[in-house]
Amino acid sequence: MGRRRHRVEGAAGALPEAIAALSRSLPAGPSPEIFRRAKFDRPEAAPVLWQLLLRVLSPLAAKDTLTDLAPEAQARVVKSALDSQGYPRSALVQFPEGSSQRSRELLLALSWLLARGPFLEQLLAQTRVQLGDQLPQYECEALAIPGPPAPHVETETPVDLRLVEWLMGKLRFRWRRLISSQQEQCALLSKIHLYTRGCHSQQNLDHLSVAETEMLRDPESSQQLLQALESENVRLGAALEWRQCELVFWQWMDTVLDACLSETPAVTSQPTVLPMISERGLGELELVKQELQALQEELREVAEPRRAAWEAQVGGLGQGPEWSTTRRALQEAVKQELIALQVSWEPFSGPTQPQRPHRLVRSKDQSPGPQGLQAAEMIRTLSAQEAGLKKVLHQLQSQCQQELARLAGALPDLIWIMVPGH
Amino acid sequence: MLGAKADYRVPTDCSRRIMAEVQGALDSCAERQRQLERSLRVSRRLLEVWEPARALTPEPETKEEAPTPACPPSAQDLRELELLTQALEKAVRVRKGPSKAGQRDRTPSLTSASNAATSGATAPTHSQPSNQAGSRASGARSTKGTQRATVPAKDYPKGRPLTRGDRTHMRTGSQAAGSGSGLRDQQMAPSAVPRATEPFTLKDKGTLLQLPATFRKAASQNSRLWAQLSAVQASDSTDATRAAKAQFLQKLQLTSGCSSHRPGAAEVEAHAQSLRKACTLLRLRMQKALSAAPTDWTQEYRCLLVLEGLQAVVGQCLHRIQVLQTAVTGPPGPRLVEKPTQGSPLCGEKTDSSWSPELLLYSSTKELQTLATLKLRVAMLAQQIHLEKVLMAELFPLINTQEPGGPPWLALCRAAYSLLCEGGEHFLTVLRDDPAN
Repeated sequence: MGRRRHRVEGAAGALPEAIAALSRSLPAGPSPEIFRRAKFDRPEAAPVLWQLLLRVLSPLAAKDTLTDLAPEAQARVVKSALDSQGYPRSALVQFPEGSSQRSRELLLALSWLLARGPFLEQLLAQTRVQLGDQLPQYECEALAIPGPPAPHVETETPVDLRLVEWLMGKLRFRWRRLISSQQEQCALLSKIHLYTRGCHSQQNLDHLSVAETEMLRDPESSQQLLQALESENVRLGAALEWRQCELVFWQWMDTVLDACLSETPAVTSQPTVLPMISERGLGELELVKQELQALQEELREVAEPRRAAWEAQVGGLGQGPEWSTTRRALQEAVKQELIALQVSWEPFSGPTQPQRPHRLVRSKDQSPGPQGLQAAEMIRTLSAQEAGLKKVLHQLQSQCQQELARLAGALPDLIWIMVPGH
Repeated sequence: MLGAKADYRVPTDCSRRIMAEVQGALDSCAERQRQLERSLRVSRRLLEVWEPARALTPEPETKEEAPTPACPPSAQDLRELELLTQALEKAVRVRKGPSKAGQRDRTPSLTSASNAATSGATAPTHSQPSNQAGSRASGARSTKGTQRATVPAKDYPKGRPLTRGDRTHMRTGSQAAGSGSGLRDQQMAPSAVPRATEPFTLKDKGTLLQLPATFRKAASQNSRLWAQLSAVQASDSTDATRAAKAQFLQKLQLTSGCSSHRPGAAEVEAHAQSLRKACTLLRLRMQKALSAAPTDWTQEYRCLLVLEGLQAVVGQCLHRIQVLQTAVTGPPGPRLVEKPTQGSPLCGEKTDSSWSPELLLYSSTKELQTLATLKLRVAMLAQQIHLEKVLMAELFPLINTQEPGGPPWLALCRAAYSLLCEGGEHFLTVLRDDPAN
């Protein structure tokens, strides 16, 4: 790997090749001709590009349902997805929906997505063929980028709180069921791993996974798996090729942008913020803000008297040099601690939390080496996490209890019979 | 007792928000259950007796070199089959000598296999009945399969039985051969398994399985390509490319009418999530500081510094929220909000530089179960905390605005208590103490 060929020849040959590589690495990539037509804002290029954007922007779960939508609805999904990612150009949003328009804008949108980060790699990772067994990931609690509204958007009626109570019970039951199903799955996986030990060609993997065993059991799934692997290999190869020759594409996109600007003046109006998308995020922010404000208040209530008490005391300690060194040391230590604390919640922080899926391997070997992660280690981390979360929950609950007691206590002629044991 | 007829209806807009959250939680649980059930079905099936493969579509035919499903075995085929049978018989003889216990159940299978092969070969005109006996494919195809596969005289004798139960493995063998290149002397690892007439179970014979060569090749190519791709990404492209991309982005941004970066919903969500985490961690740290009883003045001072430091950090977080809120809702201004990284990941996925999954080693079923359960419990707790906060935010204002003392207020308080303090699991009773008594 790593041989870099610098294409010095003219754009004539290099550009279509680069675009072709890009196309091969995308799902349903259009031909270089489409790209060329889009530069000139030709209408025939638009539907293909709409489809492409729809495919690359929709979350994995929704991909099947979205292709059934009408073109206008699809266009709306693409626009809202772009908007939620912070796409700055308003031209797409402002014009009425119509799939035969704005092919140049679509090209710009696609290039923007590609330029910002490892978009291709992320796409490939989304659909990566999983050969091994993994435990399901539950980290991604955040809601998906908007697709069509959920089928149960409740009609606007007031809701009886007893329904909410009932639904919470239903939720609890679902979790219990999920846990027991998961335990069964683990037992089965463990058996399969045990029974196929020594069969894998790779030493460090030792046994087969479910996908691999299934492949041996059922020729049809063997075919499917093989085909999936091979087509992924094609896409990966194309992506590597693209990475080597993409410069010529960006030079060309510059000209596209120029063409765009020369024809339409720069838009100066503020793009309309599609309310459906922002409301959720802003609501979350508001919630967090309230919590933080409450926390700030609590801290103030605690810290101020202590500071006052301290100031009163410190006079008696004297102002020797010993004292000031100690004080500086303490200040430094606390500062470092708080910085470390802050880093731990920053988004996209280091790989302390293993986010990527780990292939499960059953092994008696206690020394995992650089590639392996011990289950025991992960159990320890998760236990600590669980304990922390439990504390938080209990603390919230007791906060509520105090507040409710205060409110209820205002009415003396009521007796509240609590749950026994509390 | 007031419980019986008291009910409280939440106003519409609150209802909508609460129901959206709760229903969302239920739906995501249901989706996970569905996925899990799918996996369970597959795993259970693997541990049962393996069914013989269903009739293959003509597809594998196209992979083989001379596909004619219904042609009777040619003379040459028969001759080759004869040779093969002889080779098998010889192998059996050789095997029978040195092989001891453990091989016993295999040798009878070989003899039966070679018998079956011979009978297949010596009865060309009975291709029809042999078809029916197989009832899965034409005799020609099976003979072709036999022809294709090699007979390595290695550790495990690999029979070429034509009986039913083994159709799968032979099928896979012929398929693998077909998809490989069909050369007879190709060094191929047939996934066929030595079998007796008893059916195949993973428990007994699992260790004898082997992955086909084509698959192994594709899989190793796959991991090699991923490694290459992540290396390329980590080292990043040439400076010229990076500069070209940055320039393009900047130009696009500048000519779009807003010079500032307006954070999109995904980004706002990401910020909200990290700030939520921040709040939790700050609160925990505060509690730790408060619960510690300082014994001397250094500790007291340290504690004080921590509390004041936390206050400052909270202030910073609030400021960040303020900035975010203005950036989203307000008019475009100079760049106020720093973006998390150079590009929000899709759907909150991490932009890791290395894409290859690591291995997670476990040593026993119990350990794996513990791990899986813990993961679920952590997710469940996170969801519970989130719902708790949502309900707190919705219900407390309602309690405060509702007129106290009346039946709706009581119903509300009772429900709120149950939901907020007991997770909806327990209910309290409210008695009105009648002063007239």
